Amino acid sequence: MRADAAHLPGDIPEGLIEPSLTVGKVTPGSLDDQVLAFPETRPPKQWYIGLAITLTALFIGLGFIGYTFVTGIGVWGNNSPVFWAFDIINFVFWVGIGHAGTLISAILFLFRKRWRNAIARFAEAMTIFAVMCAVIFPLIHVGRPWVAFWLFPYPNQRALWTNFRSPLLWDVFAVNTYFSVSLMFWYLGLIPDIASMRDRTTSKLRKTIYTVLALGWRGAASHWQHYEKAYLLLAGLATGLVLSVHSVVSFDFATSVVPGWHMTIFPPYFVAGAIFAGFSMVVIVLVVVRETMQLKNLITMRHLDVMNKVILAMSCIMGYSYMMEGFTAWYSMNEYLHHGFMNIITGTYGWAGWLTISCNIFIPQILWFKKARASYFWMIFVAIGVTIGMWFERFVIIVISLHQDYLPSAWRIYKPTMTDFGILLGTFGLFFTLVLIFARVLPVIATTEVKAILPDAQPSHHGDDAHV
Amino acid sequence: MSETSYAVLGIFDTPDALMQAIPKVRASKLGTVEAYTPYPIHGIDEALGLRRSPLGGMVLVMGVLGALTAFGFQYWISAIDYPIVTGGKAANSWEAFIPIMFEVMVLFATFTAGLGMLLLLNKLPFFGHPVLSSKAITGITRDRYVLALEAESEAFDSAAAAQALQGAGAVEIEVLPAPDRSPFLTSDFILRTAGGIFTACLVAGLVMFLTIKWFPLLAPMKYMQDQPRLNAQKGSTFFKDGHGMQMPVAGTVARGYLPTATGTQEAAATLVNPLPRTKEVFAVGRKAFANRCEVCHGALGNGMGSLTAAYGGKPANLQAQQFRDYPDGKIYWAIVNGKNAMPSQAADLTEAQRWSVVHYVRALQRAQNAKDEDLKVVAP
Repeated sequence: MRADAAHLPGDIPEGLIEPSLTVGKVTPGSLDDQVLAFPETRPPKQWYIGLAITLTALFIGLGFIGYTFVTGIGVWGNNSPVFWAFDIINFVFWVGIGHAGTLISAILFLFRKRWRNAIARFAEAMTIFAVMCAVIFPLIHVGRPWVAFWLFPYPNQRALWTNFRSPLLWDVFAVNTYFSVSLMFWYLGLIPDIASMRDRTTSKLRKTIYTVLALGWRGAASHWQHYEKAYLLLAGLATGLVLSVHSVVSFDFATSVVPGWHMTIFPPYFVAGAIFAGFSMVVIVLVVVRETMQLKNLITMRHLDVMNKVILAMSCIMGYSYMMEGFTAWYSMNEYLHHGFMNIITGTYGWAGWLTISCNIFIPQILWFKKARASYFWMIFVAIGVTIGMWFERFVIIVISLHQDYLPSAWRIYKPTMTDFGILLGTFGLFFTLVLIFARVLPVIATTEVKAILPDAQPSHHGDDAHV
Repeated sequence: MSETSYAVLGIFDTPDALMQAIPKVRASKLGTVEAYTPYPIHGIDEALGLRRSPLGGMVLVMGVLGALTAFGFQYWISAIDYPIVTGGKAANSWEAFIPIMFEVMVLFATFTAGLGMLLLLNKLPFFGHPVLSSKAITGITRDRYVLALEAESEAFDSAAAAQALQGAGAVEIEVLPAPDRSPFLTSDFILRTAGGIFTACLVAGLVMFLTIKWFPLLAPMKYMQDQPRLNAQKGSTFFKDGHGMQMPVAGTVARGYLPTATGTQEAAATLVNPLPRTKEVFAVGRKAFANRCEVCHGALGNGMGSLTAAYGGKPANLQAQQFRDYPDGKIYWAIVNGKNAMPSQAADLTEAQRWSVVHYVRALQRAQNAKDEDLKVVAP
């Protein structure tokens, strides 16, 4: 949908013709029957097993969060000088995961990468779920989350205002805006699909729900015109936003004076890392979805191939960033930076430093091989490696920098507790629970968008789309 | 085909057929031409003669407004209403406002684009449109392309419209009856709406009450109030005896109340005055002497105080040779422990004040028994 209407000359060289985005014969009708049927059928047994596992993880996490509330955040491993540990690591990790969704849905849309249409819906949903997981951590880290609304600048009886020079407040605005915009973007994309579901379902309850959610969408050309414009504008806005959000997250670190944090490379480095981690998570989920939901004709190996190429490119950017970090430490002739960098490769947490470098830089290099990009084993291997590596990268940045700063008398080795791990597990439970539920109640593929890029979907006398 | 029909729908199988039909149907000038498609079709805007969407301009205006709002808000708070110096920056340094200006700009622009498109331009949600209750809608949202001739006036001829659509290549025709135009504001409707609003207010009020009054009193929200501490006029729950103030541990010494020589006066003779002879010390001694000693011993220390006659005692004449020969420690002992009729001054004079008084008594004695060399010192 909304693909380019480029007026290319009639005879296009063979190499420039985009290969088909689907496998086998797919018509608008068959697409609906395939994708929109999921909410109308009973889920298979594996789905229930998966849900049981993720719900267990979720409730373990909720238990530990409850334990934290009644006991206090002293049950976590954080202590002076490592005041930020698992909570901020996990926050940055989850926000980063979310960024892949916006990249796919917005940036690739602006670049007219039409392969994005088939995977954008899932990636956007993952964005929303990941941001939901992310906001849990700052909320519970404030200690009394029931008064977390004090973070917002509103007129209050305490006659206090928030500090607009604090990057933490910028974060409040950035993450809230990001969540609102992602939700809006996702919902706008869903409206025509929900209308399709409304018109095909026979169940009265579902019909009522879909009728309300579809807002009476009727596919009028005059509506589509505004809709496309809105979608384009949202894509442009979300592109700027996604770059700003992780930059603002990196300001939490970069505007401080902790050695190893106070660097100008942080914003681009964080954005690249976020896209890197997010794409890996999308690959993991897409492979599972593709296999278990029989969507091989719509999510093709070509999609996964392109995704893997993006991961490879991001891996190279990360490698450059790591080298720049080392270079900055050396070139600055600043003994604190020297010490901080040596801590990453030789210190107590040196293993974490090397795990990060191996998982993020060395392992993804396997994707240079076409065979690896076409192999489930290798792409999952790389994706899980990157997910672990990116989590540890935030561990390296936060814990290693903090545990030995300027004041040697304050140095301390940080050790996470069971509660820290339990809450992390809980957010994974939440994320995959939401993914599983989403896969069964809403269209996992943006059918409207895919219909628009099917062969013969666009009038032949207008542009070259008939070739596709 | 009655004259009260709303529109006639012509159904097409391919986007090509739809696009080719549009100019023909528009040329018939029988009514407003609208297309209903499962996804946006390229070039249909121009074919139908739709005006360009004004959304871009709306978003631009609201985005700029968002950025300005955020700037004004932050500036007013940080520079005018609540100027707190942070990081040594001037209260009105605007550079730190940029991230939030950007975020609020995006927020305003996004909501304008999304809600402006839905609510203002497309006038959704609207569940009563006749097309939604047509038979063709299941095809519209699936894989059929529909061209509609919609009535512009009472004179709409649905038969002619159907013919025009068929002539343009429609494979199927559906006539939509006009929507039911029964009066909107019936008493039943008003009653139901009022009831709905009342219920909503009731629920909202209850939720608000519970959130503000009840929720903060639950654990762990009330832990802040439940700290072990002593409240005014309340027994202590922390100590077993219920006292908030506990007796100090045996041997506790209060600051400035170091215990003094309690042995005999003879034993105290060896004590040395720890204070230097400075103006300040003499001033302290003079004040303490005036407050505690003068009433009996007299301003000159000669035992002729104003109280002497009244109570018939005989306070010591500190100018006597006996007391001029006393070591400092013995005078100090007398201040602390009292002597004969003189009570102890330990409770009223601190350690430093007592020794200052000793210095001052020495000064009085010297003043009343000045030697020749004292005069020399003063002489220019």
